[in-house]
Amino acid sequence: MITIDGSEGEGGGQVLRYAAALSLLTGEPFTIGNIRGGRAKPGLMRQHVTALEAACVIGGAECNGLHVGSTEIGFRPGSVTPGEYRFAIGTAGSTGLVLQTVMVPLMLADGPSKLVIEGGTHAMAAPPFEFTAKTLLPLIAKMGPRVTATLDRHGFYPRGGGRIVVEIEPAPLRPIECIERGAFERGKVDALVSGIPFDIADRELKAARKVLGEWPEESFAVEQLPAEIGPGNALLIEAAFEHVTEVMSGFGKMGLPAERLAKTAAKRMAGYIASGAFAGPYLQDQLLLPLAMAQGGAFTTVRIGRHSRTAAELIGRFTGREIGFSDTPDGAHLIEIR
Amino acid sequence: MKPATVIGFLGSTLDAAKFGPSRWNKWRPTVSICMQEDLRVDRFVLLHGTYHQRLADFVMQDIRDVSPETEVVPHLLDFDDAWDFEEVYGKLLDFARSFPFDPDVQDYLIHITTGTHVAQICLFLLTEARYLPGRLLQTQPQRGQPQPVGTWAAIDLDLSRYDSIATRFAEASAESTSFLKSGIETRNTAFNRMIEEIEQVAMRSRAPILLMGPTGAGKSQLARKIYELKKLRHQVSGPFVEVNCATLKGDSAMSALFGHRKGAFTGAVQDRPGLLRSADKGVLFLDEIGELGLDEQAMILRAIEEGRFLPVGADSEANSEFQLIAGTNRNLMDEVAAGHFREDLFARLNLWTFALPGLAERREDIQPNLDYELERFAEREGMRVTFNKEARERYLAFAESPAALWQGNFRDLAASVTRMATLCPSGRIDRAAVDFECERLARLWSGERAEENILADLLGPEGVAKIDPFDRVQLAYVVETCRSSASLSEAGRTLFAVSREIRTSTNDADRLRKYLARFGLEWAAVTG
Repeated sequence: MITIDGSEGEGGGQVLRYAAALSLLTGEPFTIGNIRGGRAKPGLMRQHVTALEAACVIGGAECNGLHVGSTEIGFRPGSVTPGEYRFAIGTAGSTGLVLQTVMVPLMLADGPSKLVIEGGTHAMAAPPFEFTAKTLLPLIAKMGPRVTATLDRHGFYPRGGGRIVVEIEPAPLRPIECIERGAFERGKVDALVSGIPFDIADRELKAARKVLGEWPEESFAVEQLPAEIGPGNALLIEAAFEHVTEVMSGFGKMGLPAERLAKTAAKRMAGYIASGAFAGPYLQDQLLLPLAMAQGGAFTTVRIGRHSRTAAELIGRFTGREIGFSDTPDGAHLIEIR
Repeated sequence: MKPATVIGFLGSTLDAAKFGPSRWNKWRPTVSICMQEDLRVDRFVLLHGTYHQRLADFVMQDIRDVSPETEVVPHLLDFDDAWDFEEVYGKLLDFARSFPFDPDVQDYLIHITTGTHVAQICLFLLTEARYLPGRLLQTQPQRGQPQPVGTWAAIDLDLSRYDSIATRFAEASAESTSFLKSGIETRNTAFNRMIEEIEQVAMRSRAPILLMGPTGAGKSQLARKIYELKKLRHQVSGPFVEVNCATLKGDSAMSALFGHRKGAFTGAVQDRPGLLRSADKGVLFLDEIGELGLDEQAMILRAIEEGRFLPVGADSEANSEFQLIAGTNRNLMDEVAAGHFREDLFARLNLWTFALPGLAERREDIQPNLDYELERFAEREGMRVTFNKEARERYLAFAESPAALWQGNFRDLAASVTRMATLCPSGRIDRAAVDFECERLARLWSGERAEENILADLLGPEGVAKIDPFDRVQLAYVVETCRSSASLSEAGRTLFAVSREIRTSTNDADRLRKYLARFGLEWAAVTG
């Protein structure tokens, strides 16, 4: 039985997702108290409850204290059962983050699974669908399992209502080394708009172009989605390298000028490109768990975030495996699973 | 944690928006409830009219998007006039009664931000009355930016759950009970408990109150205090009307109580409203209600039950809304058995019956009441009188001993204090005065009710009843002095001995004659 203080480290939903996934993978039960202790609204929010419920469903787990507002839960894992599942998240909660909770356990199950996850696909405080599909899953494929994700319908904040379908073909995990990202191949900037004025997309592209001036004209495009799924706006910036494709994003919301949103996202991409590192912040967080289960591997990355420190600590407690952080000579960072 | 069910009206204005993407920029209370990160709605019972079917469908679809956890259950509720209180309350009450509530397994939140104000008031009332066994749910838009989510708050109407409110209620209640006791710090547990109960009844009920207890136990004073408390709390606006039913004997009783029309009988030279009518919107205190005749009892009963009665000689009924407080020193149950008191009236009065214990049963309260009586004397006479320590101990020792019978209860105590204070011109009651008074009390209770008897002989019991107890003591003393004096002048000299010393020329005899005249007495009658 592992006891976790939910307010430590990242102190939010990530601790819960990691702990649940690790518990299903190791068979080790845990209790967590003081959940989201430092936040304005402490305790479990709806999307956390849904993520933990999803973990319970696929893993035959029992979770007590599982309700909105709860600050303490006990989680007792069962055996992971592959199959077809549907999860729906309210409040435009992220489909990608629920997937993060259940994907690795299902990748290592004894049969294929198909997940339909409904909720937010392009919403704040979570990676967009394109990150899952283009950044994360190709690396998972290199490790063995085949996971495909399709976007049926976009889900923007505040409405949500998006839908992704994920198919998982399990296979044993192989360690991989992700040190060099290879040569730059192409850049792509997409401004998604739905049910809001078209010129917002134009303004975003113009602002992004100022930062990413070396990218050719045809890399910048507007994608207009049906108005009835809106309102919604996302700016997706992809940089494809030989060994990895990174995705940076910005999401429109009321009161946030299009230019500022685009400039922030573009600068993040420019910073990533300049760093020479393999993994951006989201990949850094999401790559740790599969590598830990592969019992080895390493990757270079941008500045180490609090999410990764917290993830490393949880991995250490559940698996006993140590994760090393070090600096590379060119100013990037190296994370190694030993 | 129980699953949550929200019950609320579709807001025909607040929940409405253009049927396009821009609706998501608008705060729509019903949808916003389902967009809260920290509120999971498992079921939403959406009340709406047939006319708003399309809006309801639209809102339900949007709730499914933002809250797949929520099962929306539409419930048709049509009003002819959604601003008609009677209709809305009636239909919501029917809804509440037929809804299969199960508060043991479900949490209920009653959304009161949508619907007409009348509908909101009705939901509030039904929730407060526990027909809707839940908490109130309020939603509001976020300040500043237009934003669809807004905020929510659940309000539990069980006020005892709020510490600061509960403390304030306890304080107010303590204040009220202290008020009912005229600020006297009584120690008798049974009495204090009874007063607390009376306070609650006075605050919450308009039903008749029956005060039982021996003469002088303080029924009349308590009735007046109840009235004053109700008046302070704005529960009555009319006057306090007090009558001793023993004085309402004979033909004039009906007319005194219920009034008469001009010319109803000889002597009815003008309209008389009567006591019941005078007590409209106030409190009517009928002391010694057991003395009331059977006919009057029947009329009183009808007046309590229907607020209507027929004045003597009138063709149409008069109305009066009054709260009745009845007092009695008799056992009304025995009176009912003997056929002297109507059973139905007794049943009506017997809802809130309080038996005031006599002073002899509350000996621990004698000391605070003694202080209270001294205080009253000081207020009345503008002169502060105190005991010396030894005298006080001596008096209390006697007063609290079984030898003190206190047959006249607080009336005896008040008279005793008045006597001692009056007879101590120095303002200091000493041991000798106390000894004298104790003897006097002992004599009084042994059957020689000296002053009462003297005055009753002179004026008759009805005459005595018209005189303040305060004056009775004085008058009786004056009469005694007169009887032991040879002439009016001699009596005057004795009675006004102190002022004689100060003033140079005083007509003591004249002063005494005028004093006696105030009570309709003269020298010959007093001494004869």
